[in-house]
Amino acid sequence: MLVLRSVKARLGGVLVLRDVDLAVEAGRTTVLVGRNGAGKTTTLRVIMGLVPLAAGRVAMAGTDLGALPSHARAAAGIGYAPEDRRLIPAFSVEDNLLLPALALRLPSAERRARLDQVYDLLPELKAMRGRAGGHLSGGQGKMVALGRALMVGTRLVLLDEPFQGLAPALALAYAEAIGRIRSRMPELALLITESSPHLLDRIVDRTVQIERGEIVRDTVPAA
Amino acid sequence: MLQALMPLLVDGLANAALIFFVAVGLSLVFSVLRILNVAHGSFYAIGAYASVSLSLWIVSAGLSPWLTLPALAVSAAIVAAILGPAVERGFLRWTYGRPESLQILVTFALFLIFEDLQKLVFGVQSLYQDAPVQLFGTSEIGGILYLNYQLVLIALAVLVVVALRLLMSYTRFGKLMVAVVADPEVSQALGIDTRRVYMAAFTLGVFLAAFGGALASPTVGVAPGTGPEAIVLAFAVAAIGGLGQIEGAALAALVVGVVRVLAIYFAPEFEAVVPYLVMLAVLLVRPYGLFGSVRVRRI
Repeated sequence: MLVLRSVKARLGGVLVLRDVDLAVEAGRTTVLVGRNGAGKTTTLRVIMGLVPLAAGRVAMAGTDLGALPSHARAAAGIGYAPEDRRLIPAFSVEDNLLLPALALRLPSAERRARLDQVYDLLPELKAMRGRAGGHLSGGQGKMVALGRALMVGTRLVLLDEPFQGLAPALALAYAEAIGRIRSRMPELALLITESSPHLLDRIVDRTVQIERGEIVRDTVPAA
Repeated sequence: MLQALMPLLVDGLANAALIFFVAVGLSLVFSVLRILNVAHGSFYAIGAYASVSLSLWIVSAGLSPWLTLPALAVSAAIVAAILGPAVERGFLRWTYGRPESLQILVTFALFLIFEDLQKLVFGVQSLYQDAPVQLFGTSEIGGILYLNYQLVLIALAVLVVVALRLLMSYTRFGKLMVAVVADPEVSQALGIDTRRVYMAAFTLGVFLAAFGGALASPTVGVAPGTGPEAIVLAFAVAAIGGLGQIEGAALAALVVGVVRVLAIYFAPEFEAVVPYLVMLAVLLVRPYGLFGSVRVRRI
């Protein structure tokens, strides 16, 4: 569904993505593994339009994303949860979740339905819906960022290092949440970057390894 | 003493209200666009010129002088609708993410251009039309005569503080602005068209300044120098309140207004410098202003 072809990208003049080919399929969970600095985060940011494409092509369902500004990519159904959460501190958890719906002018019935679905998938968010985004722990913030990505990402959800810095119990809860998303949203494509992919063992459909800005291995585990 | 202070106080607060309009717009633009707009005072002056021109025309055309009241808001809206998008799209957007020195230079250049354009269009003589002040008349309280128009100015400033707060907390545009202030990049990734938010926020800032100028025009003559005076005072007020703070700008305008009155009463020769002395004192103790802080960007 999402295809990256010979993607190159620069950060501050330095070629960070040298040659990235990647295919993310609908209904599948793809994990992008690699060391720190290998280009995982930059790959997601290129998909989101936050880092400009230096060369190559990014397309979703046949539509070239290269020309679309970030907000239009969100409107096309891509949800993004950055590694550092980046919640709006002054907003409550619920307002953080609703922000994309507000931005995309979703009709209120649709807004309500998506919020209910998120609360259904991540019940811990419902319990803290009134708390300020600035007053959450790192792990709670990650959950909210995941929920917020699900509010936008009807076709594709990008999760950047979701387990980074999570306490073991929270990491487990997060992995279970991803499992629930996987089974309840069968058409959704998931692209997850991870430096310690073992937590995702049970739900991964495809593992792609990136090194120094290049894809070096692309494996589909035997069922 | 109160007998003598009260009229001064009303006068000072009415002035503070006008400066508040400029300062809060400056603050708003700074927090959303992250640009300190040196040309912001020019919108105050242009709003004043537009309003006085429209009022002069209304009176000379023999229309009802009551039309000069809506003309105050209408002229500000026209100025904002034209100059807001033009300046933001035409100039400021090229400076986003660039060094602050470049942003200051670009807006300073705009300020100089606007100053000359004003002289070109409106001439260098002072323009004056006080129909709105006349219409509101005066009231006598405790043997002292007050201009009702000045009381209206103070009430309008309070109203604008409340309106801006409601806008930020309860409307779509306000919430998108708060999100963009907190994190422009993630805002884009969540579907916010930040270009439109920048343009709209800037236009709102231009409107507030132009409205301040329009409201000022019936009380003073409009002449070259109006813009520079407004921007310098607005900078002081915005800095005292903390850049990006709506209530901070209001409180700072209040403080500056009252301090100026006290200066006029006790040491008139210091009237012009006290706003800056207050700014100096506040910034020495609280470098980010009364309401400001380094980490949390609020609006």
